[in-house]
Amino acid sequence: MDLRAVLLRATAARPRVLLLTMPGATAVRLAAERELRRRDLPEARTPAEANVLFVAGAVGPSLEPAVDRLWRDMPAPRVRAHARTADEVAAAVAASRVSLATPLPRPGIEGHGEGTHHHGGGHGDGTGMPAGPAMAERGPDRDGLALDRVHLSFGPFLPDWPAGLTMRLTLQGDVIQRADLAESLWGATAAVSPYWTEPWTRAAAGEEVLLGEAARRRAAAHLDSLGRFLAVAGWPGQATAARRLRDDLVAGAEAAAVRPRAERFARRTGRSRTLYWLTRGMGELSRAEAEAAGVSGPAARADGDVPARYREWLTAVVDDVARLDDRTRLNDRRPLGDRRRLYDHSRPNDQDRRDDRDRRNDRNRRADQDRPDDHSRPSDQRRPDDRSPHDPAAPHGPRGRLDGPRPPSAALAAVLPRLLAGAEVAAARLIVASLDPDPDELAAQLPAAARG
Amino acid sequence: MVDAAPWWSLFVAPALLPALAVFAVAADALLIAREAGRPAGVVTAGRRLLEVPRLLVAQPRRTPSSDTLLRRAGVVTVPVAAVLAVLVVPFGRRTVGDLSVGVVWFNAMEVLTWAGLWMSGWGQNAAFSLIGGYRYLAQGLAYELPLMFALISAATGAQSLRVGGVVAAQHGLWFAVWMPFAFAVFLTSVSAFSFLGPFSYPAGRDIAGGVLGDTSGADRLLLQAGRWLWLAAGAAMAVPLFLGGGAGPGPAPWAWSLLKTLAVLVALVCIQRRFPMVRADRYVEFAWVVLVPLAVLQALVPALVVLNR
Amino acid sequence: MSAVLFGVLAVLALVAALLVFSVGSMARATFALLASLVCAGGEVVVLGLPYLGLVTVLMMVMEMVVMAVFMVAYMMDPAGLTQMSMVHNKRGSLVISAGVFVALAAGILLVRWPERTGTRPADTTFQLGESLMGGQMLTMITLGFVLLATMVGATVLATRRGRYDRFGDDLDQRPARDPVGGGVGR
Repeated sequence: MDLRAVLLRATAARPRVLLLTMPGATAVRLAAERELRRRDLPEARTPAEANVLFVAGAVGPSLEPAVDRLWRDMPAPRVRAHARTADEVAAAVAASRVSLATPLPRPGIEGHGEGTHHHGGGHGDGTGMPAGPAMAERGPDRDGLALDRVHLSFGPFLPDWPAGLTMRLTLQGDVIQRADLAESLWGATAAVSPYWTEPWTRAAAGEEVLLGEAARRRAAAHLDSLGRFLAVAGWPGQATAARRLRDDLVAGAEAAAVRPRAERFARRTGRSRTLYWLTRGMGELSRAEAEAAGVSGPAARADGDVPARYREWLTAVVDDVARLDDRTRLNDRRPLGDRRRLYDHSRPNDQDRRDDRDRRNDRNRRADQDRPDDHSRPSDQRRPDDRSPHDPAAPHGPRGRLDGPRPPSAALAAVLPRLLAGAEVAAARLIVASLDPDPDELAAQLPAAARG
Repeated sequence: MVDAAPWWSLFVAPALLPALAVFAVAADALLIAREAGRPAGVVTAGRRLLEVPRLLVAQPRRTPSSDTLLRRAGVVTVPVAAVLAVLVVPFGRRTVGDLSVGVVWFNAMEVLTWAGLWMSGWGQNAAFSLIGGYRYLAQGLAYELPLMFALISAATGAQSLRVGGVVAAQHGLWFAVWMPFAFAVFLTSVSAFSFLGPFSYPAGRDIAGGVLGDTSGADRLLLQAGRWLWLAAGAAMAVPLFLGGGAGPGPAPWAWSLLKTLAVLVALVCIQRRFPMVRADRYVEFAWVVLVPLAVLQALVPALVVLNR
Repeated sequence: MSAVLFGVLAVLALVAALLVFSVGSMARATFALLASLVCAGGEVVVLGLPYLGLVTVLMMVMEMVVMAVFMVAYMMDPAGLTQMSMVHNKRGSLVISAGVFVALAAGILLVRWPERTGTRPADTTFQLGESLMGGQMLTMITLGFVLLATMVGATVLATRRGRYDRFGDDLDQRPARDPVGGGVGR
């Protein structure tokens, strides 16, 4: 019996998959993540541990070198899989497993013996060291010492990172001295239409879209962001919970079935003292600063640090999940007051539930006495534009208003360099995850109609 | 009460520890399956072990200008230190090497992991691996002092550094009962030195796996095995230190040792998945400002009890 | 048996010590030194003082690993990729080290070692504790506090930021202004 064949079959039974999402392929990514989770195929964090390089979406010319480089970094046995649409995912995964189990020498394995190519830092197009080692230069650090500086790139591909986003970092130790956005690598291919803002795009094009449908998409988008954030925060169980909830919402699960789960998830995450303790004081972004930078969504409403932002997401998810059956039309331009009454009459229990949530938020807040300001005020006392995410007339996507001069994610990405300077790598990853710019929005110009 | 085992036990201990580690991995796989909504059965637990053949067949991988000597030394040190550490842990009434300073031996082997992980992080010559290696030191500086005081508490209560002596001293009342804080600190530190769960900071997802990130093949297998072996070793050590060793009703002390070790392992694996990853920059201040003073107070309790005896 | 072990460990310790000065990277030099010190700890165990030997190993591992961080940070050996040398003033250091070695070796041979009067105790750790903590209790306590005070003092002197930087001019700013917030939130 050929031992190698047995080992290869074992590998094919549970290969690790390096999932690379191209900008504009969010739907494919969601399908792939669901498929991998269902079939117990763990995601690889680096090319070193991967067997399957799974590309979701069409590879644009700007990202092609990065993808090829990751492929070169993968040790054998390895296969490449590709799915352009969500429907192709299952077949592509299955085909890659069959191909892995085949002990034939596959082309491309020879010549990749020990000295595989290394990538500078993130698996991305880092400041690699192909020829000779790049020497560090020195510079003053925050304590007034002269320490080595290292230049690294984060992105375009990192686990739980907005795919395509590339930050060029100057590090001393693991403290970021300087961060710059490399805009050229957002990797727009042809026409990209952002997945998470689709209902608003359709409404802007004149289609009839219900508020419930938009709320469903927005809740799923926030859960997607939360899943990424929780994974970066090193809480895999909660990240899985967020992603399962997201997938169920996307698949069109009943409101009654999703609501208790969403509330339980929000309660558990929002009340976690450990998570709060680990993230408080990071990446402070006041509402004024955010608005000056053009940020309008949850990041601006949160008006504070990382915990304020993830709690804002949680609040928004619970809010939106409660509105899944709302049959108000998006783009309805009747005055807000009328609709509000209508809405409240239609759901008599809604106010109770919201009060309950506010009490809960109050309890959460009490833990952080250093932050007396909050958004746990009952929704009806909020400033008018605080309520606006549910205003059907204004196109409030998951990351902010879609009628501004540029997509909301562009504003989110633009505040990153300032927030990352002085942070440590771990904090930087959390800050990026708590803002979570959408690569689709970065890659695509929003259709002119949505700005309307 | 605890006797030296025959010479062949030298080979049994290194076989038993991986079995315990596999048990812990299987328990972890079941928890993950439940979180992901997959059926949790024997097959699920077994599938996780496919990782072993997967890594055995994987091509070894080397980054340019890597320090192969230090990397190999580091990768081997982690699991070997775990196996060496349990040589002093009694299994039932037998122990492979009942050193007169067994508690210190365990601690010294655990500290070897510091060197091992730093060397493997450094040796790979990759930014994230290096950060991971440094992170383990930061984490070590945080957990090590409270852990030492927890060990000292048990040793003081028994007036002996011999692990067998610690077991004998718990005749009637487990140390876990009247030194609960030391017990809790010890369990936390077990998680920390095996860099699993909330203490997976050196191998964090935010740095793409850190020390593990650029390894493949046998290197990766050894490091991953080292983590779970250390978890098993820590659980095995908790039993003689705090849970009365093999003591229990019935005739089979080894069964009690095994049962208690498995219980501690299951508890550790379950608790680990309930918390987000603790970063050393937050944990170190907490450890030194809160845990160390409390641990000193805890060590004072057995000291006073022993003085008045 | 123990004589053979002693000899092997002695040779290993010497070889590792020589490697410290001949390897080409700071990291390797650090771990060669560590290997040498671990062998020295082993010698102490072989000589019948297991507690001292193991504590030596334990402390040296922690110390040398932390030291590796500082050596790499300060010795301008970026990523350990350049060839470096631990030896400065080659001739002078050679003379000094040879002189010290000869003096110590001569001391071993020339000193009249005392004969054992009693029997060897079963548990040397206990005896060690007695002799350290029994007659010299006050000395040890004083030493402990002096060492601790020195460490705290040195850290305070080395810190550029004082409490006024952290808590403001009136010491009333909470939480403190730190580049990285700690875990207790003072």
